[in-house]
Amino acid sequence: MLKRMRLGALYEILGIYLIALLLVAIGRFVSPQFLTNENFLNILNGVVLLGMAAAGMAFVTYSGNMADLSFPSIMAFSGIITVAALPLGLIPALAIGVLAGMAIGAMNGIVVGALKANPILWTLAVSFFMEGFMRFTWSNNQVYPDTAPGTSGAAFIQLFRVSAGPVPLTVLVMIGMFIAGHFVMTRTRFGIETKLVGSSRETARTSGINVRRVILLDFLVAALAASTAGIFLASMNKLGVFYLGLGYDFKAVTAVVIGGMMLSGGRGHLFGVLGGVLVIGLMSNIMDFLGVTSFRQNIVTGGVFILVVGLHQYLLRKRGKDYA
Amino acid sequence: MDTSSFEPTALRMEGVSKRYPGTLAVDNVDFEARVGEVHALMGENGAGKSTLMKILAGSFDDYTGRIFIGGSQREANLHSPAIAKENGIGMIYQELSLARPISIAENLLVGRLPVRYGFLLDKRAMIAEAKRCLERVGLDIDPMTTLEEISQHEAQLVEIAKVLGNMPCILVMDEPTSALSREEVDRLFEIIQQLKRAGLTIIYISHHLSEVFRIADRVTVLRDGRKIATKDISEVTPVDVVQMMVGKRIDEFYSKRKAVIGEPVLKVRNLTRRGFFHNVSFHASRGEILGIAGLSGAGRTELARSMCGLDPLDDGDVELGGDFVPPESYQESVRRGLFYLSEDRKSDGLFLRLPVQQNLVSVLIPWNTTLGIYSSRNDARVARDMIRQLEIVTASALTDAGTLSGGNQQKVLLGKWLAGRPRVLVLDEPTRGVDVSAKMKIHDAVMEVADQGNTVILISSDLPELVGLSDRVVVMRNGHLIGEMRKEQLSEESVLLAANGQMERANA
Repeated sequence: MLKRMRLGALYEILGIYLIALLLVAIGRFVSPQFLTNENFLNILNGVVLLGMAAAGMAFVTYSGNMADLSFPSIMAFSGIITVAALPLGLIPALAIGVLAGMAIGAMNGIVVGALKANPILWTLAVSFFMEGFMRFTWSNNQVYPDTAPGTSGAAFIQLFRVSAGPVPLTVLVMIGMFIAGHFVMTRTRFGIETKLVGSSRETARTSGINVRRVILLDFLVAALAASTAGIFLASMNKLGVFYLGLGYDFKAVTAVVIGGMMLSGGRGHLFGVLGGVLVIGLMSNIMDFLGVTSFRQNIVTGGVFILVVGLHQYLLRKRGKDYA
Repeated sequence: MDTSSFEPTALRMEGVSKRYPGTLAVDNVDFEARVGEVHALMGENGAGKSTLMKILAGSFDDYTGRIFIGGSQREANLHSPAIAKENGIGMIYQELSLARPISIAENLLVGRLPVRYGFLLDKRAMIAEAKRCLERVGLDIDPMTTLEEISQHEAQLVEIAKVLGNMPCILVMDEPTSALSREEVDRLFEIIQQLKRAGLTIIYISHHLSEVFRIADRVTVLRDGRKIATKDISEVTPVDVVQMMVGKRIDEFYSKRKAVIGEPVLKVRNLTRRGFFHNVSFHASRGEILGIAGLSGAGRTELARSMCGLDPLDDGDVELGGDFVPPESYQESVRRGLFYLSEDRKSDGLFLRLPVQQNLVSVLIPWNTTLGIYSSRNDARVARDMIRQLEIVTASALTDAGTLSGGNQQKVLLGKWLAGRPRVLVLDEPTRGVDVSAKMKIHDAVMEVADQGNTVILISSDLPELVGLSDRVVVMRNGHLIGEMRKEQLSEESVLLAANGQMERANA
């Protein structure tokens, strides 16, 4: 019985990796340069920040709150704050930047958890507010670090660029986040309770689960991941500004959903989400090879999202599982 | 067939079967109903009652067998709901099919709203027509009231009025009283009598023997998809019907238990939540099953939820084993072994989309956690034990709870709390809509909980259950605790009188 469950779960995760394999085959067909180590690193570099964001977004989706649309503003805000705090030293600046992002997550978690606000509308409003706030505070300007050699700013812009051997730090961080996230989701009390809250918030409450605390923690975890991605994004661009992070909300949800996580909550796997991230990376890379412009790529990404959500719904209905 | 039938046949089904993948839900059933009779259809959950009626409602296009309506010799092919409607079949389901935010009139006349010039809504005609419909069910309310402003009972009557608007000759009612109080049931029965006199045939599905014996002229019992018998109600006793339903001899519905009652463990003092219940004080002891009697709306559920910390409290305190239970902190109550079993397993009792096993261990999370890490080592064993103890019928422990039958879902709900080892278990309608055998299994488990020295508080609208299980009953009426009855004073009649505020007569 246990074996059957494992196999079922395995299949759910494997599905997305089969699609990834198919894309690899297509890529090989499209260009001989596709199957090189260099291009593989390219692909990873292209989606590594998205991967970090999606790992966090998955917690919000898993808890039945669909998506945190304040991700772009959390990413931009933690980036700006980190850059602005660099004179205090690299480590304090990183800590302050992460805390700034998590402050937004805390606010989201309290409002959605305790006040039962609609998560989509609330986080959309927060995003709108934060963009205005950042534009006002920094007068629409970009914030630059002091990058003279030996300063904390110079160290900061290296964050995105250093590698351990051939593997960039960012990729290590992303993989670490997925492994840690998977452990938290499947092995900790918080993870199990998130699944129960995602399956039925009311039932979780009447089962003695502190639903408010669980949802608060989910938004905090999401904000931690978004802040981390935001800080690397600022390091990559060598600056902090209100619009860095744009589009990461929708792309992260896309990765989560095509990774097999149900938007209704309580179902899915973080390794599926990682697969979703890779699929997005592969698609984008193949389209680059084909010379598809980035606007047209958006059309494809959006189209894939529509297709996958529709397919989910269809399969659910076919299996007769739309009873909840 | 008996020979006393003068009335013509309204419906005849011959050799009707319906197969679902894997099961024969209705197996070669002959069924006949006469004009102007109330014909009860009984059977345990899964006996095929609902499927048989769905065939009649035109829900399937692949049933086999022949159906004749109103003495006609022509076979009616009820292959779609529209065809069933044309043949004069009206259905009233357990769950109402009405839209809450819109007016009664619009609900009543949906699909046939009166219009002027082909598109303008004729409001005056709509109100007049709605009034006529409401009169038939004895409702005197403004048809422009929205549905959320009226009571459950009135909504049910609106539903009946809506179905009557299609001029049916056969009316099927599926558990119409499940959400109604005693007085409301009486009023519903008066209306059923009127409809019967007007020549309608009513097919009445119910689990409540007492209702069937009050209202029905004949009863047909189904078991495992087959028809067992059709009898005049005057020639059978409730015990006969139950035997036909379960297929085995039951000597006593409720085995007499010798309760060993220890010291008081739960003390409730002056509990008040304004508008719901006021100044409620009582205690319950180890080994005791304490029933709370009352009509629907008396405040029993609200009292239980606030007492356990799920809902707020304005005043008063709850003491469990010498410690005060903090108000509005259900996690804390659960930690101390004070559990509340929800009255609605679908909305807040079970995780329908999660496996049975996950449901059964969901209360144990705090106990299976060390330093934040959850150990699933015992999950499979706990689930296996509970499935065996409660005889839960499920393909495996990893089947989604939502796919189980109602009775088995209710067992999972009980099992979830039993797994948590309750000190005080508050049960709110633990056997609502459940078949007889599941009910008996649940009763056994509840008695065992008490026999192990724990306390059970039982809220139930099922009088035989309340009387049969309780060692003592407190009575609530309009948010106040109005009295207490000892075991030897308990009978269905006395509890009913007390719940209606007639304590003296109850204790006479």
